[in-house]
Amino acid sequence: MSYPASRTRHGIFILLRRLRKPLTILICVYAVAVLGFTLVPGVDPEGQPWTMSFLHSFYFVSFLGTTIGLGEIPYPFSDAQRLWATASIYGTVVAWLYAIGGLFSVLQDPLFRRIADENAVARAVRHMSQPFYLICGYDDAGNRVARELAQDGAHIVVIDTESARVDSVEVDELSLAVPALCGDASDPKTLVLAGLTSGYCAGVLALTGDDFVNTKIALTARLLSPDIPVLSAVRYHAAHARMAAAGADHIINPYDTFAERVALSIRTPSLHVIYESLTTQSGTAMNEPPQLPTGRWILCGTGLFTRTLHRQLERLKIDSVVIDPELTEDEVDAHHLKGDPTDPAVLREAGAEEASALVGGTAVDIDNLAIALAGRGMNKDLFIVARQTQRRNSLIFRAAPVDLVMLSGYVLAGEVLRVIRAPQLATFLRRARDEDEAWAADLLQTMRDVIGKEVVESWSVTISPAQARTVCRAMAGSETVTLGQLLTRADGSGDPLQAVPLLLQRGQERMLRPALDTPLQLDDRILCCGSNSARATMRHNLVGHSLPIMNYQASERPVTGA
Amino acid sequence: MSTERVLFAFVIVLALTLNVGFIVGDIANIQHHNIYELFAAVVVSLIATVMKFGDRSPLGSTMLATSLIADLQLIAAAVAWGLYSQSGVELNEHQTVTVISLAIGAAVANVVSVVLLIIEMANLRR
Repeated sequence: MSYPASRTRHGIFILLRRLRKPLTILICVYAVAVLGFTLVPGVDPEGQPWTMSFLHSFYFVSFLGTTIGLGEIPYPFSDAQRLWATASIYGTVVAWLYAIGGLFSVLQDPLFRRIADENAVARAVRHMSQPFYLICGYDDAGNRVARELAQDGAHIVVIDTESARVDSVEVDELSLAVPALCGDASDPKTLVLAGLTSGYCAGVLALTGDDFVNTKIALTARLLSPDIPVLSAVRYHAAHARMAAAGADHIINPYDTFAERVALSIRTPSLHVIYESLTTQSGTAMNEPPQLPTGRWILCGTGLFTRTLHRQLERLKIDSVVIDPELTEDEVDAHHLKGDPTDPAVLREAGAEEASALVGGTAVDIDNLAIALAGRGMNKDLFIVARQTQRRNSLIFRAAPVDLVMLSGYVLAGEVLRVIRAPQLATFLRRARDEDEAWAADLLQTMRDVIGKEVVESWSVTISPAQARTVCRAMAGSETVTLGQLLTRADGSGDPLQAVPLLLQRGQERMLRPALDTPLQLDDRILCCGSNSARATMRHNLVGHSLPIMNYQASERPVTGA
Repeated sequence: MSTERVLFAFVIVLALTLNVGFIVGDIANIQHHNIYELFAAVVVSLIATVMKFGDRSPLGSTMLATSLIADLQLIAAAVAWGLYSQSGVELNEHQTVTVISLAIGAAVANVVSVVLLIIEMANLRR
C-alpha cells in the first residue's frame, strides 16, 4: 500500500506526535499513584484497617498533583499512606511539568507554527465569499497595491518569502483583514493554498521582484486557473517574451513605464496632466502641464533604467548622454561616456554645466543623491531626476534638491492599480499617446470646463441587461438611445453631467472621445471620467425608471458653471 | 526489528490481553472479575492511544479510532462500577452485566486494533 508522500497539514497531529512521551509518562505516574493508594493500608477512626477504593484514590491523586491544599480523605491518613502521598506529589508534579514543558516546546516549534499559519490562511481563504486578489510579493509595490485595494474594499491575500514582510501586513493596518502567508510563490502548492484555484480569485499579481519567479507564477496561474487574469511585473526585457508565453495578461515594466511617462511629459504635457488626474485617487484636471526641458539630458548609471530612458529620448530626438562605469571600449561614442557618475569631474566632462536635465539612475540611492547634489552645485537651472530604490529613503529624497523622483515600486503599483481599477483606461491611454499635444490640450480644456476642480474619477460601463437595464429596455423598443442621454441630469432639467466620455469600445472598434449624439448599441463599453456625483447619476440613469431627456442646446458645447 | 515497533505491538496486544482477561468468566458474577485487572486495562489502553497519536502509517487513523473506542468503553465500565458501588455494597446481577458488557465492547475494539496491526505488519514485509 503506497500513499503519496504528502505532508500532513494537520498541526494537531504533529502536536500529538511530539506529546507521545510526556503523555505516556503522565499516565504511568498517575496509574502508579492511584494503584498505590488502593493498596496502602490505613486506619479509620474506630481503629479498623481500611484501604481506599479506586474512586477515592483517583479523586485524591487528581487534586494531588494540581493543587497543594490537600485534605486527607475520607479519614486521616496512616503513616504509610502519608509516605505514599509524599512520593505521589513529587511524581505527579514532575510529570505535569514535563508534559506542560513538552506542550509549550511544540507550540513554539517553528514547524508547528508554520503549519498552524498555513492552516489559518487556508481556512481564511476557504471562507472568502467575495472576489479577492492574490498578491505575490509584499515589498514597496505589493504594499501600496494592497493598501489601495483594501481602501477600495477589495479583498486580498498576500504571499511573501520573508516572514518580516508577512508580519508587516499585520502592522500596516490595512482596512480589511488580510490573510498573509509566508511561503515561496514559485511553489504551485503555496499558490493553491493561498487560493489560486478558489472560485473567488479575481486576479493574481506577480510582484516578487524576480522575473523567473513572476514567470512561474504566471505559468502556474495559467495552467491551474485559466480564467484568472495575471498581472506580472518584469525587470529585464529579455523576460518579456517568456512571461507573455507563460500567459501573463498584463506585463508591467516600471522602467519602461517611467521612461514613457517622461517622454509623454516632454511630448504632450497636457496628456500627462490628464494621465495624472485619471490615475491618482485625489487628482484634479487643474494642474499645470509640466515643463520638462528639451535640451541636453545627462543620464547616469548602468542598467535598464537609463537605457530605456535613453531610447525614449532618442525617439523624441532629444540629445542625451549616458555616463556608465561598465561600458566597454567600443560602446563609447558621442552619446555614451565611460566613468564614475558620482565623480563631479566626470559630470563636468559630460557637460553638466550646460545641460538642461540630469538623471541619477544608478541602483544605489546614495549615489543618486550624490549625483543630484553635485549637479545642483554646478548648474542651478538643471532639471534633476533621481531614481529611488528603497522606500525607507523617502525622507532624504524629499529633502534633496530633486525635481522628480522615480521609485520603481511606486510606479509599478500605480500601473497595477490602473489596470485593476479601469481596464479600459489602459486602452484609452495607449490610444491617446498617439495623438498630438493640440488634441491633448483640447481634451484637458474640456475636462477643466466640464469637471472643474472636482476630483476626477474614471469608470467603465457595459451596455448589457445586467448593468444598463433601462437602456436595454428602451433599445428593445427600437428607440434610439444616445450617449448624451446617459450623461444628462436625471432631474428633468436636461443639464449635462460633470462627466466626459473618453472611449467607446464596440467590438474591435475603439472610438476616442465619442460624440454625445452617438447612438448606443448592445455590448458597447464606455469609459467616462468625471466627478463622483456624475458617476452616481449615470449609474442611476442606466438602471432607473426612465431615461432623461437631453437638453440639446446645452449639450452642443457642454459648459457648466462649476 | 526496531525497539519502537516492539514496544508499539507490545502495548497494543497487552491492552487486548488485559481486557480479555477481565471479561473472561460469568458475565453476571462479579466475583469472576478483578477490579485491578480493569484498572490495568484502562491504563494500558490509554497508553496505547497515546502511542498511536500521529502515527504516520496508512492505517494509523483507523487504529487511533479503535483505540479511542476502547478507552471510551473501558472508562465507562470503570465509572459504572464506581457509581454502583458507592454505598459500599457489592454489585447486583444487572449492574455486573452492565459493567462487563461495556468491557466486552472494548475488547471487540481491541481485537480490531490488533487485526489492523497485523495487517500493517504483513504489508510492511512485502
